[in-house]
Amino acid sequence: MDAIIQLIHVSKWYDRRAALSDVTIEIEKGDFVLLMGPSGAGKSTLLRMLIGEEQPDEGQVFVHGRNVTKLKQSEIPYLRRKIGSVFQDFRLLSKKSVFDNVALPLVVQSVSEKDIRRKVTEALRAVGVDHKKDQSPNSLSAGEQQRVCIARAIVNGPVVLLADEPTGNLDPERTGEIIDLFKLINARGTTVIVATHDPYVMKQINRRAVTLVQGVLMPEGRPAERVEV
Amino acid sequence: MRRLLYIVREAWANMRTNRTTTIVAILTTAFTLACVGIFLLLYVNLRNAAGWLQEDVKIMVYLEDAVHPARRQALEQELKSDRMVFGVLFISKEQALGEFRAQFPAESHLLEGLGENPLPASFVVTLAPNYRSPQSMKGWAERVQMMEGVAKVDYNQEWINVLAELIGYIELIAIGVGMLLSAASVTIIGNTTRLALLTRREEIEILRSVGATRTFIRTPYFLEGAVLGAFGSALSLGILKIGFELFRQQMQLASRFSGIESLLSFFPLPLCMALVMVGMGLGLAGSVVSLLRVGEGRT
Repeated sequence: MDAIIQLIHVSKWYDRRAALSDVTIEIEKGDFVLLMGPSGAGKSTLLRMLIGEEQPDEGQVFVHGRNVTKLKQSEIPYLRRKIGSVFQDFRLLSKKSVFDNVALPLVVQSVSEKDIRRKVTEALRAVGVDHKKDQSPNSLSAGEQQRVCIARAIVNGPVVLLADEPTGNLDPERTGEIIDLFKLINARGTTVIVATHDPYVMKQINRRAVTLVQGVLMPEGRPAERVEV
Repeated sequence: MRRLLYIVREAWANMRTNRTTTIVAILTTAFTLACVGIFLLLYVNLRNAAGWLQEDVKIMVYLEDAVHPARRQALEQELKSDRMVFGVLFISKEQALGEFRAQFPAESHLLEGLGENPLPASFVVTLAPNYRSPQSMKGWAERVQMMEGVAKVDYNQEWINVLAELIGYIELIAIGVGMLLSAASVTIIGNTTRLALLTRREEIEILRSVGATRTFIRTPYFLEGAVLGAFGSALSLGILKIGFELFRQQMQLASRFSGIESLLSFFPLPLCMALVMVGMGLGLAGSVVSLLRVGEGRT
């Protein structure tokens, strides 16, 4: 199996407080990984390192064969084009339509108008909000907004999908739907990493679990075994 | 195509979101550039005036009374064959007296008591266009002064020197004021860009997360700065034109200056276009300075 993500002895400090401490993880292509831990455990720091938004103070980070710690500033956007990101607060542009929000990753890459229309329609259909493409994100429910956010993350056909507390603003029913979507995306070959501290999500996704506590990596296991974290 | 549309739309959205700041930036830039424009207009018109005066300058070569007619003819030939000379006109003693009487009829009795005609014969020399600078005229006059039969060479050098000096000063003031006020324009537009960056911080973060390059993120702000500068500059030209026409009208009404108004001229079209481009450049510089100083957020 090929490792698509590798963190080798990664450490990061903020004001002498360790956000990540000597973390070593390897994630295979096509894996579905839960990144668990309480708030402040270092989950978001780790995800930000994968997209080159943070640099480790020590160690190396590899994504899709590239050493992120050695990338030039000008190369980082090209790395991010291979990674889809889903956020807890959705981060949708309220002044743009659902369609335009989802089209954004393609627009920045100068994809042709025809391909944009095709890919955005496919992505919206995959998450089940294609009938709302002309609406403003503000007119959608929280669950629908998260679906639009997922559509934007997958429109580009990323190799990795990162989700940082994606269900933090959703009720249990909507949470279940979003988890099913992630499973579907993973089943199509995309590596999915979901950072969460929600025990309900941990139970629902019974896959490989990586747990961080105060920046330190705990022994791995299935969420069912570690749900007390 | 969508990328280009996106960039244009974003620049337009920036301006619309911060409407008041945009309008204030355009107006301040317009008044700032209009101040520079006043000096530029003064400079252009004084240069034109200097050009006309220079063209009109005649050099008087007065001859000695005792000069032999043959020497006078030889001198005339010598002057005519000089490459620096454009035209030579001989004025005899009698013609000079006749002209004096015609020009100053009330003072003509002053010459009567002197018996013999005291006015000298002369050549009125016009120099070729390339040799009408104060330095060329001075050099030529000094050379002719040494020629046999020449009593005195006279021309209105002081006047030309004063005007040249005045133009030099105005040029310096225009450059100084221009640089100072241009820096002010850059700062004003830079602050507008900075405000737009702060307002749209969240959007910039999203663009970064989906893989937008720095150029893609920055271009709408550069475009916004350039548009603000161009609009400010065009407006300043409008203000100047209105002011210029009002001034010309006043000159026309004041009988003392009647006729001068036809000599005054506004900036020619190519210069107007160049000024709009300069405004555009200043606006762009403002955005660049702002983006370099505050950046567009995290990497």
